[in-house]
Amino acid sequence: MKKKEARYCVNREIVVPLHRDNVAYMKKVIGIILLLFIFLPLSAQEGTYGTEGEPVSAETYGQEHTNVLKIHAGYGRQIDTYLSPMAYKGWQLGLGNEWWQAFRQDTKLGRTGRLANWGHVGRVALAAGRLVNTAQSNLFYSLHIDAGWGAFYCWKWIDDRLKVHVGPYLEGSFAVREHGSNVNKIVSFDVAVEAMAMGGVSWSFYGKKTSYRLNYLIRTNLIGFDFLPEYWESYYEISQGVPGQARCSGPWNHHTLKHELTLDLQFPHSTWRVGAAHELNDYGTKDLHFSHNQIQLVIGCIWKYRINPHSRL
Amino acid sequence: MKTKIYFIGIALAGMRLLSGCHAKEEMSYSADPVTNIEGLWQIIDTRYCYIEDKGIDWSAIREEYVAQAAQIKPNDQVALFDLCAGMLDSLRDGHVNLYSAFDRSANTAWFDTCPANFDSRLQALYLQNCRVAGGLYYNTIDSGRVGYIYYSSFSNSFSAGNIYWVFKAFEQCEGLIIDVRNNGGGDITNAYRLSSPFFTENELIGYWRHKTGPAHNDFSDFEPLTADASMVGSKWKRPVVVLCNRRSYSAANLFVNIMRYAPSARIVGGTSGGGGGMPMSYEMPNGWMVRFSSVRMYDRDKKDIENGIEPDVKISMTSTDKDDIIEKAIQLIHEF
Repeated sequence: MKKKEARYCVNREIVVPLHRDNVAYMKKVIGIILLLFIFLPLSAQEGTYGTEGEPVSAETYGQEHTNVLKIHAGYGRQIDTYLSPMAYKGWQLGLGNEWWQAFRQDTKLGRTGRLANWGHVGRVALAAGRLVNTAQSNLFYSLHIDAGWGAFYCWKWIDDRLKVHVGPYLEGSFAVREHGSNVNKIVSFDVAVEAMAMGGVSWSFYGKKTSYRLNYLIRTNLIGFDFLPEYWESYYEISQGVPGQARCSGPWNHHTLKHELTLDLQFPHSTWRVGAAHELNDYGTKDLHFSHNQIQLVIGCIWKYRINPHSRL
Repeated sequence: MKTKIYFIGIALAGMRLLSGCHAKEEMSYSADPVTNIEGLWQIIDTRYCYIEDKGIDWSAIREEYVAQAAQIKPNDQVALFDLCAGMLDSLRDGHVNLYSAFDRSANTAWFDTCPANFDSRLQALYLQNCRVAGGLYYNTIDSGRVGYIYYSSFSNSFSAGNIYWVFKAFEQCEGLIIDVRNNGGGDITNAYRLSSPFFTENELIGYWRHKTGPAHNDFSDFEPLTADASMVGSKWKRPVVVLCNRRSYSAANLFVNIMRYAPSARIVGGTSGGGGGMPMSYEMPNGWMVRFSSVRMYDRDKKDIENGIEPDVKISMTSTDKDDIIEKAIQLIHEF
C-alpha cells in the first residue's frame, strides 16, 4: 500500500499538464521568487517536484526542464601568493542557477530510443566575497563567475527511487581579486576552462505529506587550461597585455573538486532544496600557489516547466 | 554496465592520486621581528628592480638589520616598524613604502636637498578666477595670450571632454603651459591622456623592462612604450611648455619624459623627481604591506628615468613677488 502511494507521488510529480492557468500562475510565482531571492532566502514556487536527470516518460511530449535557483553562503579560505604570502579567510555570498533536461523528448529517439536515458545540465553561478588575512591587516575583495554544461547517462533502480548519473562536463570560470587596502589596487585573475567528470546519486523517499530526495553531486577536473601570471610580472604589465602563462591543466597541476549534499523537500505547493556544498580549487607552479577552499550552505527552490513542441514559433 | 562504472571510478581515483602538492605553501602569520626582517629583505632582494643601480651591498644590509631585529622585543611593533623602515630607507626610493595600521614610511631624500621651485602662494596669482575641468585647473594669463593648466596629481582623473573645453578656453592663446610641479604622480594612464593632444601620431617615448626572475639582473628585453595620439581627439599644435620640479614624481616624471618628444614642447624648471619604477606591493609575515619598484622604465635613448629628467631650460625660483618659472615659460612661448 505504501509503495502504491509512493508511485502515485512519483507520477504526480511528472505529469502536471501546464495549461494556460498554470503557466500564468507559474510566471507570477517565478517573478516573486526572483524578487525574493534578492532580498530574502525564502520563496514559494509552483508545486511540481524536480527530478534531476530523469528523462520524461514516453507518454509525455515536449521538453521538460527542471530548474534550480539557489543562493549559497559560505566561509572560505583563499590563498593567492601573487598578491600575498598569507592566507585570507572570510565570507562569500553567491547566486546560482542550474537546469536539468532530458535530450530531445519531443522525438521518438529521445523518448524511447538511444537517447532515452541521456540528459544534460547547465549551470551558471556568481559569487562575491570579502576576505581578511590572518594578521587582520588587509582585505581581498573577490568576484567569481563560472558557467558550465554537461551531458550524462542516468541509471535507475528500485522503482526509479535510486538514480545514478555520470557524464562529461565543460566549465569555464573567471575570478578576480583586488587587494582592498593596497594603494595601487593590485588585482589578480583566475581564468580556467576545464573538461570535467561529473557524477551524482539521488535517493527518493516519501513521508505522509512530504516527498524527499537526497542528492549527492560531484565533479572534478580532467583536462583544460588555466592562466597563471609570472611571479615577477606586475599587475600593470598584465593589464597592458604582457602575457602570463596559459598552460594545459589537469589533475597533475590543478585540483578542482566541487561537490554538494542536498535534500529536496516537496511540499504541496513548493519544492525546496537545502544542503551543504564544498568547493576546492587549488593550483600553482613552483613560485605561485592559488587555492580556494570553501564550505557553503545552499538554499534553493526547484520548479519544472515544459516547452510544448507544437507551440514553437 | 557495472564494469563501466567501476572503471570510471577507478580512473577518477587514480587521477586524484597522481596529483601532487604545490611546492610553495602560504606563509604563516608571525610577529617575530627576525622573521619579519628576513621576510622583508627577501621580498626586496628578489622583486625590487633597482638593487644593482643603487650601489647597495644588500647582503650586508641583511646582516646588519637581522642583528638589530634580534634585539627587539617580540611585541614592540613600533620598534620593528622603525627598523624595517630604516632598512627600506637605504634604497632611497620614493616608491618604497611600508604600511602598517599605525604608520606609513616614505623616503623623501630624493627631494629634501633640492630647491623647492614651487610656491603655492605665488602660483595662486596665476590661478585667480580659474576654472576646473576634471583634475585640471586652468586659466588664461599674460593678458589672455597664454593658457595655463595646473595639474596637482595624476590620481585626479579627467576626460578627453575636459581637455576639449580647456582648449576651447585657450583658442586665442599663443601657447600653453602645463604645470606639473609638486605633482607626486598617480595613474600613468592620465600621463598618456594628458600628453595625447600634443602628438599627431604614436611615437616611441621609451622602454620598460620587467623582472623575469629572482636575481638582481633578471630582466626582460626592452619593450617599447609609445605616446598614444588617439586617446584624445583635440589637438594642440601651438607651443607648449611643461613645468616640473624635483617633486614631479612617478607618473608626473613619465609625463615629462613623454612630453620631451612632443613637437613644439619644451621642459622648464628643475630636474624632475624620478620614480621611474612601476610599483608593486606584497605582504610581510605580520601583515604589513610593503610597496616597491618592480618594473624599470627608460627614455627613448634607453637611459633610466628613475633619477629624474633634466629640463630643456633649467631655472630656479628666486623672486618673492612672481613665479620665475612661469614667467620664463611665458617668455619662451613668445620666443617660439
